[in-house]
Parts: sequence; C-alpha cells; structure tokens
Amino acid sequence: MIDSLPPGGIMILGALLIPFLRGRLAAWWTLALPVLGFFHFWSMPEGTIQTLQLFNYELMPVRIDALSRIFGLIFYLAAFLAAVYALHLRQRLQQTAATMYAGSAIGAVFAGDLVTLFVYWELTAIASVFLIWARGTERSYRTGMRYLIIQVGSGVLLLSGILFRLSETGSLAFNHFGPLDDPGTALIFLAFGIKCAFPLLHNWLQDAYPEGTVTGTVYLSVFTTKLAVYALARGFPGTEILIAIGVTMTLFPIFFAVIENDLRKVLAYSLNNQLGFMVVGIGIGTPLALNGAVSHAFCHILYKSLLFMSMGAVLYRTGTIKASELGGLYKSMPITAVCCIIGAASISALPLFSGFISKSLTMSAVAEQHHFLAWLLLLVASAGVMEHSGIKIPYFSFFAKDRGIRCPEAPLHMVLAMIVTAALCILIGCFPGPLYNMLPEVTEAYHPYTAPHVVTQLQLLLFSALAFTWLMLSGIYPPEQRSVNLDVEWLYRRLAPNLYTRMARAVGRVHGSLERGVQSQIATLINELSRYLGPQGALSSSQSTGSMALRVAVLLLAILVFYYFF
Amino acid sequence: MDNEGKYIGADKSGWFDDPKHVRIVLYALYAACALLLVADVVLYALLHEHPHFNIEKIPGFYAGFGFVAFVVIVLLGKQFRKLVKREEDYYDR
Repeated sequence: MIDSLPPGGIMILGALLIPFLRGRLAAWWTLALPVLGFFHFWSMPEGTIQTLQLFNYELMPVRIDALSRIFGLIFYLAAFLAAVYALHLRQRLQQTAATMYAGSAIGAVFAGDLVTLFVYWELTAIASVFLIWARGTERSYRTGMRYLIIQVGSGVLLLSGILFRLSETGSLAFNHFGPLDDPGTALIFLAFGIKCAFPLLHNWLQDAYPEGTVTGTVYLSVFTTKLAVYALARGFPGTEILIAIGVTMTLFPIFFAVIENDLRKVLAYSLNNQLGFMVVGIGIGTPLALNGAVSHAFCHILYKSLLFMSMGAVLYRTGTIKASELGGLYKSMPITAVCCIIGAASISALPLFSGFISKSLTMSAVAEQHHFLAWLLLLVASAGVMEHSGIKIPYFSFFAKDRGIRCPEAPLHMVLAMIVTAALCILIGCFPGPLYNMLPEVTEAYHPYTAPHVVTQLQLLLFSALAFTWLMLSGIYPPEQRSVNLDVEWLYRRLAPNLYTRMARAVGRVHGSLERGVQSQIATLINELSRYLGPQGALSSSQSTGSMALRVAVLLLAILVFYYFF
Repeated sequence: MDNEGKYIGADKSGWFDDPKHVRIVLYALYAACALLLVADVVLYALLHEHPHFNIEKIPGFYAGFGFVAFVVIVLLGKQFRKLVKREEDYYDR
C-alpha cells in the first residue's frame, strides 16, 4: 500500500494523525514524517511513473525525472529542517497545516498531469494559510484572507487554463507548453506568475510572509514560490518574455527592501528579487541557464530559510522584528548572529558559500547568450542583494546601535536547525560537485572557482560593503523608520475599498433622491386616486345598474368607432 | 507592543563596543579592497582572458560598478521613500 502512495503522500496522510497526538509526541511525529517520506521517495528510482484512469482521461499522479527529483530532494530537506526549527510548537493545527503544506508541495512537484497539479496547487494554498492565521490576531486573519483569495484565485486561473487546453489539444499532460499564443496557455502562465510573484502580481508575498508565525514563515518561504519556479521550468523553459519579467523582479524589490523597517518583510522583498534570477534563467532556457535556475532554487531554499530562521529566532526572543527597535543582539544571540551572517554571505553569492556556485551558472548563461542589458541589470541587482540581505539584515539586527535588548540565545532546537542549514550552505559552496551532478540538464563541466571569477565577484561585493561603510560614516544612509511603504497592495487595500465606499455613497445619494421623488409622486397619485375612488369620490358613489349599462355601451361604441377608422 | 523576553539594563559590553575593534574591521575591509584591485591588474596581465563583454576589460570594472551601484540604490531608495512612505497604521485606519 505504501508503495502506491505518491511522494508527499506520507506527509499528507501522516499530518492527519497529528490532531490525535499530544504534546511531545505530536512534535516528534512532525519530525519523523519528512524522514519517513524522504526514504519512501528516495526508494523510487528515476523514471518511475504511476498512471490512473479517470473517466476517459489518463492521469499521471507520479512522474519522477531529474527535474522533479532534485526539487523533491530539497523540499524534503527543507521540510525536515523547518520541522526541527518548529519542534517547540504545541499547536496541533499549525503543525498539521505545516506538514500538509510541505507534503502537498512535494506532491505537486511530481504531478505528471495538470489535474493532479491543480489539486496539489490548491491544497498548498489552503494548508499554508493556517500558518498565517495561527498568529491569532485580527491583523493576521485579514492578511490570511487576502493571501487565500489570491492563492485560490491562482488555482482558479490554472483550472480555466487547463480546461481551455483540454478542449483545444485534448491533452492533460504537464510538459513544455509551447508558445503563449492561446488563451489556455496564457491563463496557466498567469496562474504560475501569481504564485511566482511576477511584478505587479507580487504583493501577496510581502503582505503575507511577514505576518506568518515565527516557524510558519520558514515553511512559507520554502514551498509556494519554488513550486511556481519548478512549474515554470517544466512548462515554459526558453519563453523569451520571462527574461524581461525576471530582470524586473530582481530590480524593483531592492528599493522597497532598502527602506523597509520590518526585517522579515525585507526578506520577503529579497525573496522576490531572488526569484527574479531563477525566472531569468528559465527564460533563457539553455541547458546551462536551466541548471542555473534549478541550482539557484536549491541553494536559495536553504539560505533563505536560514535567514528566516534567524529573524524568526530574533522575533521569538525579543518580540519585535523592526529594525528601528533592534540592534546589538550579537551580544545576546551570538550563534544566531553567526548563522544569519552565513545566510547573508550565501545569498550575496560570496565565494565559498552556496549562492556563489548557483548564481554563477545563471550569470554565465546570460553572458553566453550576449544579453548585455539583462546581464548589466542583474549585476545591479546583485549589488542590491548585498545591500538588503548581505548587510542590512545582519547589521541592523545584530550590530548597529545597541538598543539595550538582552535576551537568551535561541532555543536549542532552533540553534540546531540553523547550524545544520548554515553548514549545508558552506558545504555546497565549497563542494558544488554533488549538486552539479544532480542537475537536470547535461552541459559541459562548469567551474565556478576560476581566479578571475572569484576576484571579480569579491570586488563587486567588497566594494559594495565599502560603499555601505562610506554611506554610514557620512550619515547619508537613510535611518530605519517606523512606516508602511505603499506597494501594489495599495490598489486593493486602499483604492478599491475607497472607490467602493464612494460608489456606495453615490448610489445611496441617487437612491435617496429617487426615493424622495418617487415618494412624492406616489403621494400625489394616491391623493388623485382617492379623489375619485375615496369614500367621497365620484367613482365610489353607488349608481344604478342602468347607468352602468349605459356607460359600458358608450365604451363599446367608442371601441367600435376606433376600429372602424384605424 | 509585545515586549516579552525583553529586559533592559544588563550592561554586557561586546567586542564591537570598542572603537578600536571597529577600526580593525574597517581597515581590514580597506586592505582587502586594495588587494583586490591589485589582483585584478595582475590577473589581467597574466591570463589574457576573453570576457563576454568589452566593458569587463576595464580594470577594476566590478569594483567601481559595485560601489556606484550600491550608492545609487541607496540614494534612489531615499528618494523613493518620500514617495511611498506612510504612517505605520496607514492600512488600519
């Protein structure tokens, strides 16, 4: 029976048991599930395919190939690390949701047909919203609602796209879709784009992730958007427009990240920027570029969850995550600080850290295809990553001005999760071979550690750090301030409700005046009628049957005359 | 405000509280930057690599680019803030 379960199935079914377990047992069970699930998945060889007959359609709930396998591996690894990080949780709803969310994301990666993909797609949306709602505040409730509407909306678009395609091509297979010239394919592209936080469709990410629970956001940062990256890599490799979309994604979040005060929101903008690099790789679509996108997703999942873990630990211990209230925490939380710096070094693509060996692939692919503008802009974006994730996150939380906060180091299991994740970031950065061997496309051997490459990358990063030093010492660097910065969400959080209120008021006014007008008309009508039909009215007086017959006769005559002449 | 776990007053001084130590870090950064510029020239003389774009042939291109891009990003961010910054409870009102 276990054999026929899809990968991810053990986690989804196992999650259903969590509500019946208590305390520690539930916590250890959440930890055991990714391990059991991983061994089950790893026992399935590459090339495994399971099919299922549904009415007249053949579905493929499981397809294991090189691309899905590497995503499955990193999803299981991240789910396990997040479970270690969340070991203190005693909220069974949140534990169930997190496990089910991870399981359904894993299931989605192995979907060989679009119906299976859709089912998992919606399951991730529904399971993940509980990681936001679990905070239990009015604010998180509203944020979760907005998140759910957008995520489920993405699923609805996906389903409409699937149906369009089915009627056009008769196929439900989830493979390369081809050009974006029919409505079905375009709808599917849009659905993927929402989950991948394309520009203008991105804001749910920065709205929702900072509102998640301490542990929930670690889960959130791993699955949803990388599932979308996987889906794009599977369905739309080499789609030219993705290059422009990706470059835009790497650039605009930088400016929000510079001025954002909530450090988990800075990470959410930074996540958006990282997705941009992957999207560019998919858009270029050469084997090297696709490998770049996949390896970047792999490494990114690790260092991004590491960064969210460290900021989560700060939030857990100090009760705040606002840069304007933090500083000097390296004294109280030295291990968290070191792990955060390792995450920051990895995301900035410092040599010897994981970001360097993955981002290089994409950058080389862009250069090889001679996309000069894209290359130049990605270089700007790389300096931007150094700014917001490389420097700002660790500097303003652990160093900068000591705000006098003294707290214990993060709990043991959190520290453990962070240390293991940090170790993986360094290990992959120093020994990229095993990761490169798992990549789906076959290319000639890639060597990230050439002298010019290391020197140029170090120049880019260290001179960025030099610029930061100068800006800080000269006082030009903008201070951290408590604020909300307007983004696209303004359209649906402010403009639309305002318009609605205004419209409702206008309609109300028109309705009111109409009502008054009609009321006075009706009153006149009633008056008139009662003049004739009222007790004293001419028409209600009692009259003889004869006069009545006479009237009818006159009426009939009038009708006859009318018909005769006309 | 949720201030759990926050207690003020323990005067634990850290390594970076000493301005001397901060200066050590800064000098190390300056030295590393200088060294990288030298390495650039040496590599250029030794390797005769053919980069993908002509712009990469400018000595110290990446160093200059990193510095300028960083400053421009921060300065633009400062201007951008004037445009989009609102009170913290903007959406709650």
